[in-house]
Amino acid sequence: MQPIQLFELASSQAHWLAVRQSVVAGNIANVNTNGYAAKQVDPFDTVLQSVGTSTAATHPAHFSEDSMRSAVRKAASDEIGAASNGKAVVLEDELIKAGEIRHAYELNVGIIKAFHRMMLATVRK
Amino acid sequence: MTAIDPLAAAMKTAASGLEVQSTRLRIVSENMANSQATATEPGGDPYQRKTIAFSSELDAVTGASMVRVESVGRDTSGFSVEYDPSHSAADESGMVKLPNVNILVEMADMREANRSYEANLQTIKQARKLISMTIDLLRVST
Repeated sequence: MQPIQLFELASSQAHWLAVRQSVVAGNIANVNTNGYAAKQVDPFDTVLQSVGTSTAATHPAHFSEDSMRSAVRKAASDEIGAASNGKAVVLEDELIKAGEIRHAYELNVGIIKAFHRMMLATVRK
Repeated sequence: MTAIDPLAAAMKTAASGLEVQSTRLRIVSENMANSQATATEPGGDPYQRKTIAFSSELDAVTGASMVRVESVGRDTSGFSVEYDPSHSAADESGMVKLPNVNILVEMADMREANRSYEANLQTIKQARKLISMTIDLLRVST
């Protein structure tokens, strides 16, 4: 029997969405910070396909990096005459992103719920 | 060892945003309250408008970009003067220096601080909603 990958996939998507939400929060918090470049997270499929290498924490004092954090990068500027270090934060864009995240998360949780119910149905008499 | 939950980091970041925006609102209210504060001695300098600067701060544990108040400075632009010889702060030629506070600028600043505060609040609300949706998974569905 094939192992069921869905839970792992759903959990990593939920993780990705959570990281995305924290990046949006960071952008919104820094909306009035001078010279701050907006950050974005790589799309989920690229994150899923990339075989990430991360540094191991071998000492209690080491900071352990969130595995998804490596997908966070500065948003490339697409406008002429923008700040040289990247795109400035656009509040509206960030709020739209937040809405997208909510929808995707709701869907994700719904799928997990449905799948879980299905699994429970197999064990229930 | 374990990395902090990104949603908790999101809430923390938004909370830092709330903090700086409320500090900004405080500065605005200080400026407005002191918009007519003249000097106490004749010919002295009146209230100087306060300014606030933010800077982004990388949280070492979560890697999230928090925000903090970098500095509260003083606006060094010139004061407006008014002829009022009977004023206690008037110099020998009867001119009184008034603070360099422009109420319109402060109002605009206040609105902007308000909007940013709302946006941060919205982020906190959403992070909380996502967390409770996840917790709801544990509820026995019938």
